[in-house]
Amino acid sequence: MHALWKYIGKRLLWTLPTLLIVAVMVFFLVRMIPGDPAQLILGDSASPEELANLRASLGLDQPVPLQFLYWLGNVVRGDLGHSISNGAPVLPLMLDRFQVSATIVLVAVGLATLIAIPAGLIAAWRQNGHVDVAIVAASTLLMSVPSFWLGLILLLIFGLNLGWLPVVGFVPFSEKPWTAITYVILPIVTLMLIEVGVLTRMMRASAIEILRLEYVMHARAKGLSERKVLLRHVLPNAFAPTWTMIGLVLGGLLGGIAVLETVFTLPGLGRLLVDAIFARDYPVVQGCLLFTALIYVIVNLIVDLCYPLFDPRVTAS
Amino acid sequence: MIRQPANLLIGSALLIFIGGMAIIALFWTPYDPAAIKLIARLKPPSAQFWLGTDEFGRDVVSRLMAGAVQSMTVAILTVVFAITLGTITGLIAGYTRGLVDRILMVFSDALLAFPGTLLALGLMVISGPNKYGIILALGIAYAPSVLRIVRASVLSAREREYVEASRVIGNSEFTTMFRHVLPNCTAPIVVLATSMFGWVVLAESGLSFLGLGVPPPAPTWGNMLSAARTYIEKAPWLGLAPGICISLTLLGINLLGDALRDRFDPRTEQR
Amino acid sequence: MKYRNLLTMTAMTAVLATTAGSAMAQDKMMRVRINADIRSTDPGVNRDANSDAIVLHMVEGLVGYRDDASVAPLLAKSVDISEDGKTYTFKLRDGLKFSNGEALTSADVLSSWQRYVDPKTAWRCLKDVTGSGVANVTSVTAPDASTVVYTLEKPTALFLATLARTDCGGTGIYQKSSLGNDGKWVKPVGTGPFMLKEWRSGQYVELAANPNYVSPGGERTGYVGDKTPKIGAVRFMVIPDDAAAKAALYSGDIDVLADVNNADIDDMTKSGQLKVDKVAAMGLTGLLFQTRDPLLKDARIRKALLLSLDIPQITEALTNGQSAPSASVIPVPSPYSGAAEKQIPTRNIEEAKKLLAEAGYKGQPIKWLATKYYPSLFDSAVLVQAMAQEAGINIEVETLDWATLLDRYTTGNYSAMSFTYSARLDPSLSYDMVSGNKDKSPNKVWDNPDGLKLIAESTTITDEAKRQAIFDKLEGMIRADVPIIPLYSGTRIGAVRSDVEGYKTWPVGYARMWGVSFAPGK
Repeated sequence: MHALWKYIGKRLLWTLPTLLIVAVMVFFLVRMIPGDPAQLILGDSASPEELANLRASLGLDQPVPLQFLYWLGNVVRGDLGHSISNGAPVLPLMLDRFQVSATIVLVAVGLATLIAIPAGLIAAWRQNGHVDVAIVAASTLLMSVPSFWLGLILLLIFGLNLGWLPVVGFVPFSEKPWTAITYVILPIVTLMLIEVGVLTRMMRASAIEILRLEYVMHARAKGLSERKVLLRHVLPNAFAPTWTMIGLVLGGLLGGIAVLETVFTLPGLGRLLVDAIFARDYPVVQGCLLFTALIYVIVNLIVDLCYPLFDPRVTAS
Repeated sequence: MIRQPANLLIGSALLIFIGGMAIIALFWTPYDPAAIKLIARLKPPSAQFWLGTDEFGRDVVSRLMAGAVQSMTVAILTVVFAITLGTITGLIAGYTRGLVDRILMVFSDALLAFPGTLLALGLMVISGPNKYGIILALGIAYAPSVLRIVRASVLSAREREYVEASRVIGNSEFTTMFRHVLPNCTAPIVVLATSMFGWVVLAESGLSFLGLGVPPPAPTWGNMLSAARTYIEKAPWLGLAPGICISLTLLGINLLGDALRDRFDPRTEQR
Repeated sequence: MKYRNLLTMTAMTAVLATTAGSAMAQDKMMRVRINADIRSTDPGVNRDANSDAIVLHMVEGLVGYRDDASVAPLLAKSVDISEDGKTYTFKLRDGLKFSNGEALTSADVLSSWQRYVDPKTAWRCLKDVTGSGVANVTSVTAPDASTVVYTLEKPTALFLATLARTDCGGTGIYQKSSLGNDGKWVKPVGTGPFMLKEWRSGQYVELAANPNYVSPGGERTGYVGDKTPKIGAVRFMVIPDDAAAKAALYSGDIDVLADVNNADIDDMTKSGQLKVDKVAAMGLTGLLFQTRDPLLKDARIRKALLLSLDIPQITEALTNGQSAPSASVIPVPSPYSGAAEKQIPTRNIEEAKKLLAEAGYKGQPIKWLATKYYPSLFDSAVLVQAMAQEAGINIEVETLDWATLLDRYTTGNYSAMSFTYSARLDPSLSYDMVSGNKDKSPNKVWDNPDGLKLIAESTTITDEAKRQAIFDKLEGMIRADVPIIPLYSGTRIGAVRSDVEGYKTWPVGYARMWGVSFAPGK
């Protein structure tokens, strides 16, 4: 146990330079983007003096490295600043939006995993059979549909033509769970369908590898039923790569979900970030990207720590 | 073993079809893909326009063909760029280990921690939208995934007997790396390149969706798809055609990728 | 997290869920789309179009616009302008009350004004009332509780129009309780027909009917007249995506869509579930040239470009036939849009080619900036590219995001671009929007000293015939220089669910929810 804690400590320590690099990259990347918030606020009738005044009041007239140090100093103290667009403090704003994105991503990926594991396992077991061909074809097709396109089609069918589900809006779960579900069902299904494709393929590929290994033959030779072979020997071992994939998917989705959140008008973190990039709302962009990076690092750490649980061959050290 | 040839067959057939479409488009399209004909806006498919016309009266078939050229170029160049960059750094990281590895990993982690599309979005806004901006941006965004996978393969491969053997018989580190370690990475790289091809086509359409794709008049499937969004009820053919093209391409490349993996995977041969 | 206000939200969602029956029509909430979250509720400070539209439901100024963008008294009962045009005497209406029930007096007008002219407030229109812009207000006094007197340094035709400007927050009068003890803005306590109920960032802004609203009576027009609220609450829902907003209107998830795309009007009219109305708008969508560009500084090339374009056809395509072409900076609905302004240049490829040959143009590429943020700008670039090609002009379109395009516009760093201006409600302002000294204001496209003198003159004259003569002269000058090719001044299209009554679209375009109600029964 001691070794494990030491390992976690070491890993966490190594994330610090990563996060620092992210912070530097974010800050300077954002400021290299042409256009600035002052222009957007003042619009097409801004005069040079007005622009200069507004920039000064936003602190944008300072040298960029100085602005960076100032920002970093605040971040270390837990203050991510205030949105330029609407003055809201960045941290609560972000956490508020993160709840929405996280709920959708976690539920969608969870459901996708539940479908992908049996589907991938069965496909591998019946490799090259009709069932396999059907599963592979279906998952490959799902993988190859642009998410926003799929989302829009579902929206048109279920929201508009059939009128079963509301088209826009969002209600937090804490307030009215049943209504809330009707708002998030389509984005979750869209995301799930797309992730099912990726995860099924991954699960199938690793299960096939395991099925080729000798100990599976041994198990079969011992007279274990196919069901037991699959559940006891193949599943636990084949799940490890899929688990890594889930980690990658979870870490990456927070950014990728922005487009879906736009289609479904969900107040999620992805949309907050994209809107902020287009509005040149520097504090929000910086805060969101740093936060996403942190989430990514944490998810990866958790994935790595869980790895020994699924793959007995690897130890945490 | 029934599926092996089917994989290869269907996969290559699809890709040859798409590739052929692109090659023909270099020399000939039914109409000029950029020619605007305002009286023929949003016409449904007919004998004259097989797949109808878009919001500017441009022929959808011609634009699909020309779009194949653009989309393929962007996708192929991006994948090649990302794979090259990722493989080289991955080999270095995995083989040298130590401090260089640490530094490379910290940087790749930082890049990976950025959502890929958003990194590309930022770089695109800075570089200005053009084909090479997209390739550079997406390439940089995807290279770290290659790095990680190559590095992992190298780490496991370098401990194998035949790598030891190569070293023992006096092969240089460089030779060992390229002769014996790199081939071990082919399978994961092929699998990754396959899915990456898909990501690029999708990311390009995502960037177009956000208003930052390949500039007009050059059509790509991505910007056709995002432009079609506005007319989804009125002119569904506009979105169906590029959507189906994207899906067919991905299907082809995935099938081919599977077939190639089965073939090149050293483990398949060994056992 | 900070999900409070559980009760109200639950009540609202209950209404959402059970749209039928239970609630009285008057208590039902009406939902209106906004395409982005508002910036603040502080009138004329940190604002954009959505913020203006919502704030002006809550605060009112001394004067306001009518439907045709002319100015009429709002909180004032009457406005007297002295002979020399320098003194404006406003008589306040009787019995005015803020939404918290307190009476409004001239002291409130003074305190609001003092905050407006404090540079720390960063009021959008500060320069327009302190000298460098339209007017210089030298003193504001309140001789009694219902009288306010403004004194200007020089007479101007635009002072009242400036006070009424939507981007100035209508120079709305708010009570001191709008500010916290620290002097910071909290929320508007005004005299408008609605008051702020809840602003949930990124989701919606909800307003409730103001129980203390005092109507001046008279016809409901623009921001003046009888503005009595006929619904209990309005929720402005943030829906950034146009397609989603349209779908929401069809499905009944929103009731009012104030800004319908030109392309959708036919379908919406035909659908039978919606009521659609449209009106000519006062913006300007057009093509800008950088007259200092090494290539485009040659007026012959700019002229050739103009001649290569079929403006009516471009306008037809961009607006789906909803707007008439307008090649003048003065918008179509303006009373000053006369014969000279209404003229449309005709296409002449031969003449264009001749001019290009004279100028020695040999197919050098012209970088053309556009954005997809406004689809019409992107589309116009694509059309111009194709049409100019026929005259042998080689245009390369570059698509940028809106902020980058705006940056290039503001700094004048471009050769040519498609651009769209927000509404200017007076012809002098329309000209001022495009003209100026490029050294001082790089965002201006037309730098012609004679023109600038005429524009300055037009702001001081109130006689309409004399102003018309000046504008006609300016029209001829700017058309000869071709620094800009205006295409159209636009059309505002609003659509509402068929059970919504009393909604009206107007040239300024902002949704107005007073006087609007749900049809009884259903």
